Amino acid sequence: MSDTASSRLLSGRSLAMAGGLVVVGLLPLAAGASPYMLGLLISSLILAGLGLSWALLGNLGGMVSFGHAAFFGVGSYASALLAAKLGVPVLLAIPLAGGVATLSSLAMLPALRLSGPYFALAILAYAQIFRILATEASWLTGGAAGLQRFPGLPTVFGFNFAERHGSYVLVLGMVVLCALIYVVIRRSYVGIALRAIAESEDATRVVGVNSTLLKTWMLMLSAFIAGMFGALNAHIIGFLEPDYAFSGIWSVMPIIGAVFGGYRSVIGPVFGAVVIYMFDQVIAKSLIPVGHQILLGIVLAGMVLLAPNGLAGLVGRIFSRTGGKHHARA
Amino acid sequence: MVRSAIASATLALALGVGLPAAQAQEKVVTIGAHMPLTGSLARSGQTFNEGMQVALRMCNAASPKVQVKVDVIDDESTPAKAVSAVEKLASSGSVAIIGGYGSNIVGPASDASDKLGKVYITAGAVSDELTQRGLKTFFRINNNAGYQKGIATLLIDLKPQAVSIIASTKEAPTLLAQGLEKDLAAKGIKVTVHKFDPAITDFKPIINKIKLQDKPDIIMMSAYENDYVGIIRAAKVLKPQVKLMVGTWSLATPKMYTEFPDLMNNVVGTSFLPFPVEVKSEEGRKFAAAYQDMYKKEIEYLATLSFVETTLLCEAIQRAAEAGTLDKGGLADEMRKTDRDTMLGRVQFDQTGDNPNFALSMGQHREGKIVLVSPKAAATGDIAYPAVPW
Repeated sequence: MSDTASSRLLSGRSLAMAGGLVVVGLLPLAAGASPYMLGLLISSLILAGLGLSWALLGNLGGMVSFGHAAFFGVGSYASALLAAKLGVPVLLAIPLAGGVATLSSLAMLPALRLSGPYFALAILAYAQIFRILATEASWLTGGAAGLQRFPGLPTVFGFNFAERHGSYVLVLGMVVLCALIYVVIRRSYVGIALRAIAESEDATRVVGVNSTLLKTWMLMLSAFIAGMFGALNAHIIGFLEPDYAFSGIWSVMPIIGAVFGGYRSVIGPVFGAVVIYMFDQVIAKSLIPVGHQILLGIVLAGMVLLAPNGLAGLVGRIFSRTGGKHHARA
Repeated sequence: MVRSAIASATLALALGVGLPAAQAQEKVVTIGAHMPLTGSLARSGQTFNEGMQVALRMCNAASPKVQVKVDVIDDESTPAKAVSAVEKLASSGSVAIIGGYGSNIVGPASDASDKLGKVYITAGAVSDELTQRGLKTFFRINNNAGYQKGIATLLIDLKPQAVSIIASTKEAPTLLAQGLEKDLAAKGIKVTVHKFDPAITDFKPIINKIKLQDKPDIIMMSAYENDYVGIIRAAKVLKPQVKLMVGTWSLATPKMYTEFPDLMNNVVGTSFLPFPVEVKSEEGRKFAAAYQDMYKKEIEYLATLSFVETTLLCEAIQRAAEAGTLDKGGLADEMRKTDRDTMLGRVQFDQTGDNPNFALSMGQHREGKIVLVSPKAAATGDIAYPAVPW
């Protein structure tokens, strides 16, 4: 890749965005956040990573998935089993688990022939198949009883990733890394082709783009990212069972986060997931301890009605207006 | 106006003088609890909460010097939120945690509690792995072995030729079905297990298979409330030639008979109380009266479990507080010293934190009443056998 090309893919703005994300992300540590608050942030960042993988598939390739729980669950189990049964170091097991989730996505290739709601429903069915497989393969997965004894995150060079601070830094780093990968792909020629596929697959094929191949790559990458976050979550929580690992929450929450934040942008799914999770758990739960989800529902409905492009779109609109006024004054 | 102002000032002065004296004598200790107050397990969580509140009221009345209060957080039946709840409760000063419902919730939450050095007690998780982790602060009053023992005793006493077990693929029912299969097979009873996905609502195919292939004497349901209703409804339609329908948790309860009177008669489930409630112990009678007073209803299974665990924790806290070891990690030691008769029978905690004495009776629905039919020592009447709901 030429210098010009690489600078186009990872522009100063992208790096500044990544740097900003890291700085904002490290603020809770600097402010001395409690383990409780860090625990909530870790959970929200897991959803943010999953939201990124969902948005990547939806935004680049136009594939709306209702079954990301499949990749998340496969990644969870793969990492736990690799670490527990084969003794693979946890930090190596996590990307390997992403690889296993990628392999599992190959089973979904026939569904790539479908589009729109048909693809969404097909992938939802795949998620159910994997959940049932995890329940029935009790010799490997522990069946319905699940797995409780597998290694947690390790200590590396004196830095304990199992502690809340360590886990937080690791998950934050993973989210930033995945966001950068998303940016690079989005800005590449492949990304342009994928966005064109999302608009009109037939038109893109006419100009010679191998849409099936590109969509396959995106499905595999999305599965890889979702699998890695599933693996991270498994080692942080320390418990796995089929109903939890393949829970519908892992399919629905990333969609909600991405739509709330603005799934068309890279930063939207991250902020969306963090903002709605923290709003629900910190603000809504303190106002209505039991049944606080009603507040979340109201906020979500309001957001969709008032800002269809999500939080990122709303912020962008506010900034552009402010900028416009400054220009007008000048 | 002036007179009322003087009266108010006098009252304020009296309270102001009296309050420090009372505070000096009374120590208030906070415990935390995470329960599924919303979501699919909300009903169980709310009943647990009721039993816990009654236990604290009685415990505080018995020991005015150390008052125990509880902060309850809804864990939404989600492991990550249960862990967050434990961390929040610990950071806000709770000396111990009462756990939620389900091993998938209790596992990670008790792990977090152990890392924070807080005693964790549960009555809602039966997985064997929970007590094999070597946690020093984990305690529970019930376990899979106790449920298994209660059901196996009844089934073996009835001497059936064959038993069909219909088991949910959820964790606790699966464990129970596996254990029962072993116990019954060891006694020469033919056992066939039919697993089903919890999403299933139509049990007619399974019942039909049992009717035509297994031809058992007894159908055993290792499942949950909604499953029992679906299974018995399907059996009522297909009428297999069985002699008894047996189930597990939350089946032999007055609520089930009230809601499904056409399905419950003669069905047997795990229980430790007959209905109308006949409590033999003094503590049980007080619990029943306080529960009636606070919630205007009869005590039930989950509330009793919660009552017992909370009472044991509260008493251990009071002992530790009086010995001055509560702030020095003495609570876990006091918990290990527990050895007392409760409404569940004798409770002790072994090295793993488990209660080795846990065993349940079996109760049979009889025209709106629940008769304890097994084991013989706890029975309040003879079992109706053969007897089915249709």
